[in-house]
Amino acid sequence: MNARLRLPSPRGTFRVWQRNMTIFRKYWKTIMFPNFVEPLLYLAALGLGLGAFIQEGGINGGTYVQYIAPGLLASNAMFAASFESTFNTFVKLKIDRIYDAIVTTPINAEDVVAGEYLWAGTRAALYGTGFLAVLAVLGFTLSPEAPLVASWWALLIPPMLLLIGVMFSVMGTLFTSLIQRIDLYAYYFTLVVTPLFLFSGIFFPVENFPAPVPQIAWFTPLYHAVNVCRELATGPSPVVLVDIAWILVFTLLLALLPIRFMRRRLIS
Amino acid sequence: MSTEQERGVRARESTLFARDLKKSYGEFQAVKGVDFEVYRGECFGFLGPNGAGKTATMKMIYGAAVPTGGELRVAGLDVTRHERDVKRRIGVVPQENNLDDDLEVKENLLVYGRYFDLPKKVILRRADELLEFVQLTDKADAEVEQLSGGMKRRLLIARALINDPEIVVLDEPTTGLDPQARHLVWERLRELANEGKTLILTTHYMEEATQLCDRLVIMEGGRIVTEGSPQQLIEEHVSPQVLEFRGRNGSLERLREVIEAEADAVEQAGESLLAYTAGADALLEKVRASGVEVENTVYRQAGLEDVFLRLTGRSLTD
Repeated sequence: MNARLRLPSPRGTFRVWQRNMTIFRKYWKTIMFPNFVEPLLYLAALGLGLGAFIQEGGINGGTYVQYIAPGLLASNAMFAASFESTFNTFVKLKIDRIYDAIVTTPINAEDVVAGEYLWAGTRAALYGTGFLAVLAVLGFTLSPEAPLVASWWALLIPPMLLLIGVMFSVMGTLFTSLIQRIDLYAYYFTLVVTPLFLFSGIFFPVENFPAPVPQIAWFTPLYHAVNVCRELATGPSPVVLVDIAWILVFTLLLALLPIRFMRRRLIS
Repeated sequence: MSTEQERGVRARESTLFARDLKKSYGEFQAVKGVDFEVYRGECFGFLGPNGAGKTATMKMIYGAAVPTGGELRVAGLDVTRHERDVKRRIGVVPQENNLDDDLEVKENLLVYGRYFDLPKKVILRRADELLEFVQLTDKADAEVEQLSGGMKRRLLIARALINDPEIVVLDEPTTGLDPQARHLVWERLRELANEGKTLILTTHYMEEATQLCDRLVIMEGGRIVTEGSPQQLIEEHVSPQVLEFRGRNGSLERLREVIEAEADAVEQAGESLLAYTAGADALLEKVRASGVEVENTVYRQAGLEDVFLRLTGRSLTD
């Protein structure tokens, strides 16, 4: 019943994105601040604190801070998009009933979901750009001989964070479209987001682990996001195209599923 | 009512049409095949107890539910084939408040107007006019949370009008409002009807239906049980006079026997018996003569509420 494939319209997608942007512009200072601070805390604690115990030249010939900084850019995007597509989307769906109001206008359920994907990606890119700027400036002022962002290719990081954000939004929205109670997000964050954060090559190279750990890592999304950010921050090799292709294929394959499930929740 | 006839003669142009319309949720049949037709400029009501299928019917009209069977045309368009176009032509006032709490009062209208792709100038002009219309101009910059229940409902009405819709669908527009707020909403809705908008509404309040509706249907168990103007329905289904008796010390049963012999029909509503008759005086005489103890008796004209009680399954006699 009603199995017809429904693709979002660009116009409707934009209107939903625009609604979120309107609100973001009112509150962006308060919204953005914690997202800046968190990665800096990781850098300070792990990069400088733990890093002091790690020999210079220990990982890929750079300092430990240099190693983890680009990875934190990727995980920051994951967290931003994940919160957006879980708690924020849940509130709009079930508590404030924002989507119920929107789908009685010419905007359809599929546009709502696509608009939220795009918005989560935008938010991830906005946070990431701020964070990237901080890294670049901080790196050059603290140690010009070992900058945290060493390549002009890093200018491509913000658009990549948009894509990474969309990918994690698709995952978060899929979970949101299946649950009825907000406390179930503990499962998503503990069993999906946190393991990805710890085992995707941000803090240590997973390649050094015995099989099948690297093989498993290859099939997870943040691993590729971290690779992309690290490559772009230091000057990429062609291998980065494989990571980008992985992200694109994974995102496209999964994107229609939440659209279907969310439509079923909004239109009976 | 004369307005109904006048409008009916003036423009018999159909704007909402349903034939054998059905809606099932899994095994449950919420709407079991209904037919109705609404003409441009009419105010048309759906009445019925909870679970009668009113809201399911509304949802199919405004695209929040997909019909399981039958035909439904809104503003001349088939709802399953022209989803977006139908939604472009209607305004929806939902049963539950779903205003955007993150936006101020006027921003709610501006953002909503963008969903319809209206030009910015048009949205700004209409937003001001509509705030004026629902008497919220001085609340334009207020947070939605600061509004009272009545103000929120008026803002929902203003929001539903931002696209200048042909048809306005209102699902229980005054439920939960105090009498002053309710009268203010009625006044605004009458003004919309006078402007020629088609209004489709559901309500639990018989007074509301009597005040606003040119024609209405009463639904029960997913079916339409009757259709007509409020006056027609009263004439058709109940006797013109009603006596309400409150029994004392379990005298209700004996009282019923006395009344049933005399009245056209008897209904029980809680601890009261309602007797429908064309001769109230004679009935009252009979009750007095019988010697049954009666606590309180009220005489009134029959209304839509009586039709409703009659047709939705609380009838004792026929």
